[in-house]
Amino acid sequence: MTYLSRIRINPLRKDSRKLLSNPRAVHGAVMGGLPNHKPDDRVLWRMDPDNPHRPHLFVLSPTRPDWTHIIQDCGWPDADGDHAAVRDYTPLLSQLAVGREFAFRLTASPVQNTATPTKATPSQAARLTAHAEDGKRIRGFRMGHRTAAAQLDWFLTRTDRWGFDIPATRSDPTAPGIHTPAPPTAPHPTSPPGPDPNPPYEVRITARHRHSFQKNGHGAHVVFRSATFEGRLRITDTDRFTTSLLTGLGPSRAYGCGLLTLAPLPGQQT
Amino acid sequence: MTTPAPEPAGNTHPSHGSDEPTVLLLRLAGPLQSWGVRSSFNRRDTGAEPTKSGVIGLLAAAAGHPREQPLGELADLTLGIRVDQPGTLLRDYHTVSDYRGRPLPQAGVSAKGIQKPTSPAKHTHVTTRFYLQDAVFVAALDGPPGLLTTLDRAVRNPAFPLALGRRSCPPTQPLSLGLRTTDMETALRSEPWQASAHTREQYARRLGRERGLHQPLHAGTIDCAATIEDPRGDDRLQDAPVSFDPHQRAFTSRQVRHAWLAIPTGFDHIDDDQPHGQADDPDHDPFALLGW
Repeated sequence: MTYLSRIRINPLRKDSRKLLSNPRAVHGAVMGGLPNHKPDDRVLWRMDPDNPHRPHLFVLSPTRPDWTHIIQDCGWPDADGDHAAVRDYTPLLSQLAVGREFAFRLTASPVQNTATPTKATPSQAARLTAHAEDGKRIRGFRMGHRTAAAQLDWFLTRTDRWGFDIPATRSDPTAPGIHTPAPPTAPHPTSPPGPDPNPPYEVRITARHRHSFQKNGHGAHVVFRSATFEGRLRITDTDRFTTSLLTGLGPSRAYGCGLLTLAPLPGQQT
Repeated sequence: MTTPAPEPAGNTHPSHGSDEPTVLLLRLAGPLQSWGVRSSFNRRDTGAEPTKSGVIGLLAAAAGHPREQPLGELADLTLGIRVDQPGTLLRDYHTVSDYRGRPLPQAGVSAKGIQKPTSPAKHTHVTTRFYLQDAVFVAALDGPPGLLTTLDRAVRNPAFPLALGRRSCPPTQPLSLGLRTTDMETALRSEPWQASAHTREQYARRLGRERGLHQPLHAGTIDCAATIEDPRGDDRLQDAPVSFDPHQRAFTSRQVRHAWLAIPTGFDHIDDDQPHGQADDPDHDPFALLGW
């Protein structure tokens, strides 16, 4: 069984500021709400500040959670309405089929791995020299993509193995009678010939952040970059897609990355 | 300053014996404001909102209290601040020197208790001062009606020049919005938006653009942040004055509560058919597919 939860966060409470600024604090609060947690279980969460005055915390957990502690410290304990909505995830999993389309949202941490960094940090240089003496093969260093173009490219090259693809943007032919003027000048000499190598896809990056925080308030900083992707997806492989939904995408899954959520497409009845 | 101000039209005179809650509303606006919280020495920062010591100090100056005089019942007033226009931060590069060409004094004192000159001689200090530009706040003071009536008159006819946190930041008029016979939160919630006409039109244009309209949208209410003194609040600020005596300056802490208040914008005409503010429903609702 899998459960999706949505918790209201009151950003004016003192304890909420910690949750909104530190992914490690959210990780602790989320794990504290799962009494039957086993070490192999994958818990995913995401903070959605659609309305910055009323942020929501989404959690996908394999066991039924209890969010009383978050509501007491960071919510509106006496207010009307649902403090935390918890819902079984199986109705969604049973709807999945090849070719179905959904609106999606994903906050992920796009990274690339390399064993030969061009500008190694002091700690990376130390590890490289230590391994050069051992003669063993080194494990690659994980480096975050920093530009929006690289982050989008990271996402689009991986959708196949996650079990879905992103349709290209549909552009209707011009209405009859409307004449599109030819471009006034010849194409730029450096532009590649042939069709556009990066046609527009139905996805966009809505938020990008760099996170930096310490574990327990001391020691080295944990640094990662996140990008929020939103758009439209089409399922191509149900098994892979279910695995992606339940176990998450990309790294930094303990810190609010990797939860893929689906919603009905705009203008479509559920 | 010497001519007595005429009685304000909207001013109600509550009887001194009644226990009806009374609130004095002040409009804290000016080209520059600076509300220091913990700064000292050469870097003088400003808080994002007026401090209680700053507002109480303004009232004490209006009432003509010298700095050495005990605060008395002024310290018992409770304060609520509403942020109508947050303003922007201004960093002021500033140098200080003795115009007579003498070296500046150092922190240490001689046996006679006189500050020694710096050695080697230091003639110029570089200090950084921070200000809020174009900010507008509404401060609500809750207390005994008699005291608030006196303070309202004093603010309209002050004994000492008034300032918004620092002597170089004079307030614009009107400073006092008068007395209200309600509790503090209701007074802050019902007072119309005090932002400048330019800011209000800018807000309407931005709202229209965000809604995809090709014209300004004049909404009925706007959400403003507020900090209200409340013993059961969950945040603590260290800015309640105990004494302004230059030799015994002391502060204590107070409990506050933060809130968002939907306040009337005060536009001449309001486009009521259009929704205003941000929708509570997010654009992306994962629960829509789970049978909700």
